[in-house]
Amino acid sequence: MSTMLASFLTLAAILFCIGLYGVLTKRSAVIVLLSIELMLNAVNLNLVAFSKYGVVPSLKGQVFSLFNIAIAAAEAAVGVAILIALYRNRGTANVDEYDDLRR
Amino acid sequence: MFNFSMELNGQTIAFFALAVCVITGAVLMLNFTKVVHMVVSLAFSFVGLAGIYVLLEAEFVAFVQVLVYAGAISILMIFGIMMTRHDKQDEVIMKPWKEALAAIGCLALFGVLFFAIRGTQFPTPADKPLSEDNTLALGKLLFTEHVIPFELLSVLLTVAFIGAIVLAKNDDPTSINPSSALTDQSSVSASEPLSSGLQQLQEPPKGGNPT
Amino acid sequence: METVFSQYAWAIPTIPLLAFLVLTALGRQIKGAASLLGLLSSLAALVLSVLVLTERWSPDAEVYSHSIDWVNLGEVTLRVGYELTNLNVLMLIVVTIVSTLVNLYAKGYMEGDDRQHVFFAYIALFTSSMLGLVVSPNLLQLYMFWELVGACSFLLIGFWYDRPAARAAAKKAFIVTRIGDVGLLIAILLLFWQMPDHSLDFSVIQTVFQSGDSLAQHGITAGIATWIASLIFIGAMGKSGQFPLHTWLPDAMEGPTPISALIHAATMVAAGVYLVARTFSIFHVSPTAMAIVAGIGGFTAIFAATIGLAQRDIKRILAYSTVSQLGYMMMALGLGAVTAGVFHLFTHAFFKALLFLGAGSVIHAVHTQDIFQMGGLGRKMKVTTWTFAIGAMALSGIPPFSGFWSKDAILAAAWEQDHKLLFVIGVLAAFFTAFYMARLFFVAFTGKPADDQIYQQAHESPSSMTIPLVVLAVLALIAGFVYTPFNGQFGIWLTGEPAEDHANVLVMIISVAAGVCGVLLGYVLYRPGQSQRVDKLEQAAAPLFRVLERKYYIDELYNWLIVRPLRVIGKGLDIIDRYVVDGLVRFISAFVDGWGRTSTRVQNGQLQTYGIVSLFGFVALVLLMLALGRGFW
Repeated sequence: MSTMLASFLTLAAILFCIGLYGVLTKRSAVIVLLSIELMLNAVNLNLVAFSKYGVVPSLKGQVFSLFNIAIAAAEAAVGVAILIALYRNRGTANVDEYDDLRR
Repeated sequence: MFNFSMELNGQTIAFFALAVCVITGAVLMLNFTKVVHMVVSLAFSFVGLAGIYVLLEAEFVAFVQVLVYAGAISILMIFGIMMTRHDKQDEVIMKPWKEALAAIGCLALFGVLFFAIRGTQFPTPADKPLSEDNTLALGKLLFTEHVIPFELLSVLLTVAFIGAIVLAKNDDPTSINPSSALTDQSSVSASEPLSSGLQQLQEPPKGGNPT
Repeated sequence: METVFSQYAWAIPTIPLLAFLVLTALGRQIKGAASLLGLLSSLAALVLSVLVLTERWSPDAEVYSHSIDWVNLGEVTLRVGYELTNLNVLMLIVVTIVSTLVNLYAKGYMEGDDRQHVFFAYIALFTSSMLGLVVSPNLLQLYMFWELVGACSFLLIGFWYDRPAARAAAKKAFIVTRIGDVGLLIAILLLFWQMPDHSLDFSVIQTVFQSGDSLAQHGITAGIATWIASLIFIGAMGKSGQFPLHTWLPDAMEGPTPISALIHAATMVAAGVYLVARTFSIFHVSPTAMAIVAGIGGFTAIFAATIGLAQRDIKRILAYSTVSQLGYMMMALGLGAVTAGVFHLFTHAFFKALLFLGAGSVIHAVHTQDIFQMGGLGRKMKVTTWTFAIGAMALSGIPPFSGFWSKDAILAAAWEQDHKLLFVIGVLAAFFTAFYMARLFFVAFTGKPADDQIYQQAHESPSSMTIPLVVLAVLALIAGFVYTPFNGQFGIWLTGEPAEDHANVLVMIISVAAGVCGVLLGYVLYRPGQSQRVDKLEQAAAPLFRVLERKYYIDELYNWLIVRPLRVIGKGLDIIDRYVVDGLVRFISAFVDGWGRTSTRVQNGQLQTYGIVSLFGFVALVLLMLALGRGFW
């Protein structure tokens, strides 16, 4: 069964890396937020996979993933709110035009 | 070190089918040029993940996944897209060196993770189901052992909810920004799916708790 | 005998030192009074020296010595103090007399110079150092003052530092004498190592090196003694301009003329002779060292005299004459005739100072140093001409002037000791000396003016310059009678040994003949009334003359042998410095600079770029952990 765990983890790693690539390259802020969700999903997948195939199988992994989903939802809501506020101020939703860190 | 051989049973086939769905959704997300298409493909990916959760005997998590991710967050993002202008930006290609560097970095990270995963000897767990009734067991856990984090999380969600409204609300009604009227309306509606998503998140345990 | 004044002998060097300090402290404000202060300090030292001399009139006057502890190094104690012997006192008299007269002379010579106060401050410092050198009771103290006079010489040669030639000459003098100084330093270290109780006192040296037996008693081999003596002589060679370290002395004539008279004719260059005389016991036990001293002295005497034949610059002629005469003194010391050598030092100081000051007076009047541009000056500058003539005759060894007696004493010593070669060399050098002095005198002072314009502006110097000339002329005339062949008292007084009867009529006749022949030949070749102002000698033997005029190409030889290779090494090191050391530095700076530029590009304010950088950093860290520890899985 351990090979199954490895497969799940590999899938999670693939998802995480795709999400990371999206975060790093996409111009649209909305897609960047979505990519972050994808990364969080990859983490959730890890948690759930370990809850079944871990050293001590337990439901706690699923509890954790539930908390994680809730926080991801909160993050998405706040993220979109910030994005809208930014869009109002700057007139764009493109990440590469937000360079306030340089100032 | 690497052992790719696995028995070909129903579970494995299901896993591969779902994994292909998930990865396809994610990769399509990267390749689509229209933002709405990206969101839809990612929703597809999220649904596929829900199926993976079912494979992992996490029915309740799969359910929540469909509700929150495939439903609420995708809708929220589509609203976010509607609130902002995405006419032509998507056609403009990023600087190639940046994409290349990001690709190299991500591949390197994946390489590291892959080698770590493949190189680890995982213990063989006891082959017994985690619980008879997944939802019941989770509800019990959440309201007994994890009740304090659970309640803290509800506070956090409330704060995030109020914060999102405050952030998105246009304080200045005389704003000269052409899109101000649009965003004004959207600030309320944008948080609606979120709140419904939260309700959906919090409801099932309550409803599913027989005690 | 009472030693009232001897107790205060420490004040002799101290008074000029105070004058130096005052002059330096007051600086420009003192202006005109600078010369007065310098003069007074020298005069005070002179008076004190004379008073000390009166106490030491008798030949058996005890050595008066007083020292205090300076540094305690475990068992060794370094001491400073002063010591009075008859040789010292003689030197004190010479130095203070010349210094006083030069101060007086410089008052006129340096009139109107902006940096007069500096000049007199330097002279005071030099006088102080020279007097300190003379009264030093041990070699270490002597060495300190030795270096101090070298530094003063450097400062004064380069006094007109805006002239490139003066700067070059100052550097040359400093560097060439430094070569000799290293020899002296090694000699001192050898002595310190070998002497009982590490004593460097002259009195102890004298006892230890009294004879071969006493040497063996203290465990010093004859070889070591020869080494010490030779190394001391190298130091003396540097200071006294002996071949092959003579090249700096003629160049040093770039300094003001009073300086040439004081430092480079009368006192400092004689320090080498004094040093050899002072440590003579070391030389005495080593026949090899004696032969070296005599040989080099004799060679320098004839060598420099021939160069003097072909020079046109009045000061350079005198400079080569100085080198030649110093060679004479060394030769005398090498022959063991300390009395004759020191006696020649004594008389030479006066007549050479006189000649230099006379030359300075001429230069002051006509503003040129080329004797072939002068001519007929005798009619305009009576005092200068007459005193110069006295000096020239003294130098040429014409009786009864002082130079005759001292030169005769040296020749007699060579004759007595059966050193025929050295005797012939001495006679030849005397002949050449007389010849070039006659040439100088007749060309510059007699005949028709070579250049009317120069002749027009010629005038007699002010009295402050002529008085020293007259005083020195008198001294040049009478100083010789201190030690005539018929009066050996001076020898007993100086060395404590009964003087041999050196009255040798044959030697006297040869000596006089050499001098007179030289003068006559000079007169014939350069006699007044000739229409052409050309160098007869040059016409007679042009190639030889060219060699002499170029000073045997010694400077060129050194340039090729030493200076050029050093330059090449320097260039090589420069290249290494520029391209290797600097290259490294520049590479580092360029690297940092480039890195900074790259970093600023990274800091573009875009979150995604930061994300990429962080990602790379994370991956690199993980890989590093893997590579270093292999503790990851």
